[in-house]
Amino acid sequence: MMETGTMRESMRNAVTDNVFMPNETVISEIIEENSTIRTYTLRFTDRAAAFSFLPGQFVMLSVPGHGEAPISISSSPTSTDAIQLSVRRAGRLTSALHSMKAGEYVAVRGPYGVPFPVDELKGRDLLFVAGGIGLAPLRSLINYCRAKNGEYGKITLCYGSRSPSDIAFKNDLDAWQADGSVDVRLTVDVPERGWQGRTGLVTTLLDDLTINNSNSSALLCGPPVMIDAVISKLKESGMDSEQIITTLERNMKCGVGLCGHCHMEGVLICKDGPVFNVRTLENIMGATG
Amino acid sequence: MEKNILKKDHVRPFLRKLARNSRLIAPLRTSHGDLLYQEIESIDSSEIDLSEQPQESAKQFLFPQQEQLFTYQSTSNGFTFSPRKSGMPTVLFGLRSCDISAILYMDVIFLRSPRDHYYLQKRKDTIIIGIGCNEPWDNCFCNATRTGPFLEIGFDLQLTDLGDRFYVESGRAVGDEILKKWPQFFSPVTDEDEKLRYQLMLEARSGFKRHVHVETAFQKIADNSVSPSVWEHLARRCDGCGGCAYICPTCTCFTIFDRPLSPHTGERLRTWDACTHDGFTRMAGGHNPVNTATDRLKRRFMHKLYFDYKQFNRPGCVGCGRCVGICFGGVDIAMFVDMVCAEKRDQRQNATVIGDLLIEAGLITRKQLYKALEKRDRTGMPLGNILMEMGIVTKEDIANCLADKVERP
Repeated sequence: MMETGTMRESMRNAVTDNVFMPNETVISEIIEENSTIRTYTLRFTDRAAAFSFLPGQFVMLSVPGHGEAPISISSSPTSTDAIQLSVRRAGRLTSALHSMKAGEYVAVRGPYGVPFPVDELKGRDLLFVAGGIGLAPLRSLINYCRAKNGEYGKITLCYGSRSPSDIAFKNDLDAWQADGSVDVRLTVDVPERGWQGRTGLVTTLLDDLTINNSNSSALLCGPPVMIDAVISKLKESGMDSEQIITTLERNMKCGVGLCGHCHMEGVLICKDGPVFNVRTLENIMGATG
Repeated sequence: MEKNILKKDHVRPFLRKLARNSRLIAPLRTSHGDLLYQEIESIDSSEIDLSEQPQESAKQFLFPQQEQLFTYQSTSNGFTFSPRKSGMPTVLFGLRSCDISAILYMDVIFLRSPRDHYYLQKRKDTIIIGIGCNEPWDNCFCNATRTGPFLEIGFDLQLTDLGDRFYVESGRAVGDEILKKWPQFFSPVTDEDEKLRYQLMLEARSGFKRHVHVETAFQKIADNSVSPSVWEHLARRCDGCGGCAYICPTCTCFTIFDRPLSPHTGERLRTWDACTHDGFTRMAGGHNPVNTATDRLKRRFMHKLYFDYKQFNRPGCVGCGRCVGICFGGVDIAMFVDMVCAEKRDQRQNATVIGDLLIEAGLITRKQLYKALEKRDRTGMPLGNILMEMGIVTKEDIANCLADKVERP
């Protein structure tokens, strides 16, 4: 007969050995970022299940009864013992999540994927370019860099939204501007009454910047058309494609390289990515024309 | 490794002993006349049928078409997740070489890091007894994928049908143990048995009716010389039904979903999925990075015949030929390979010569060439004109390039 403590431990091992088992978390706070995006703070009910991660990694979020979806972590690993996920209401699972309140339970497993190269970025000026919900994974890295006071160079964010009322993460944008840690530049596709800021694609914001290509890296996340346009613009302006880093979104069911959904040209986005530099992406895509 | 003879009369008592505490899977004829690998309830009242290649592979016994991962229960205090215990000792008897090779492929996919718990639980207590194929069937091409008709590895025991008896060889320690544990069923191999087996193996190798040049196709893909019209032709004939993926012994893609059983309980399941379905890569919100049937088929065949080849040094196809039988549109691997290998070389050859010269001269990239070739195949316009129209090269560029190469009398 096994001693109770050992038995519990061996059961836990049996479960943690099984990558499909999620860990329960409680929603401790919900921030309404805009009409479709909310940031959920999740706390592990079993503290032993809490994990360490780096910006750029994602989790598989479970809303039992509705399944799972890959969601990038939008909080910085430097902040608290909880994680934050910023989720746009887009499908069945995210709609179910959006109907939930603080105090209710969801589950996560992870963290998965290759993070942003936080060590290699040290000392460099960082240009963040995001569109809409694309700011979520970059928010994690921006706050990480801010917390590592002085380890990173100048931080600039160019952020595009559909309209002024769609601008998400306003609390963060305000905080970053207030303490001067991030040079925040905004643009919208469609202005509304009273909008004094910039109108146009996020690429137009890049025209205002003088980028020191030898010591800058760009980090992009947003809709595919935006990413393509920003990459061409940055390359045109002389940035090395190895210093242009993006994170890809794909349909994923397992998150750990088993289910096959995110396979792309011999690469598994969940394991080999989702963070890639553009040089690597070009090599992957170019391998077969 | 050990070799022995097993008389056919002894198969039933042997399996009775071997599978006493296991589930036993072997080919059985259904009342509809189909031959399928099935779980045998009673060895005494079942007639194992080794006369043909079963219509499905043994994939489902290690990776079921639908499988529960765990159940969930919600209370006011949160969730309870209870994982399913999925392991049971299994004897797979009478597996064809292609189907064993497919299990070796699944081992690579599911037992990499991280390991798939549910596959591992079933796989770790599985005994594999295969049978070599004395006579390949109409659609078989395992000679081209090097996965048959007889195997060197992958089995615990491999049988060869010598008429009234089986030649039995052991491929692993487990096989040796089995032979030692029940010596009463086995007798020593004679020289005559060895000769007969050798003869049968030779005949099997020369008995293939199809010649599917898998390695040539790989080379042509690697050289970027598959015409886009091949994909387009296949895409027009594909209904996206997923039959090829379900029947394929190496297709391991799956999807995960929840099935509520009551307001507070339910189960998380996984089920086979197919990359030819248009929803396979579609994301919430509707964006789909692999949006056309052409792209989906390209992705499918490239995965099996190119990326797997590059990564594992062998194709992700075991040459079982089942997709040939199942697809009513003829969109199967053998057809794809045949089309790639039979492509007309004349026009293409000339085009790629010009293309290669321009690449060599650093005037265009391979990607640009590929794009132009795609247009060439669509419109029938000469390649040079297309490249000029795309604004990549001038007439002079092409003329200079050719002039350098053309030998003058």
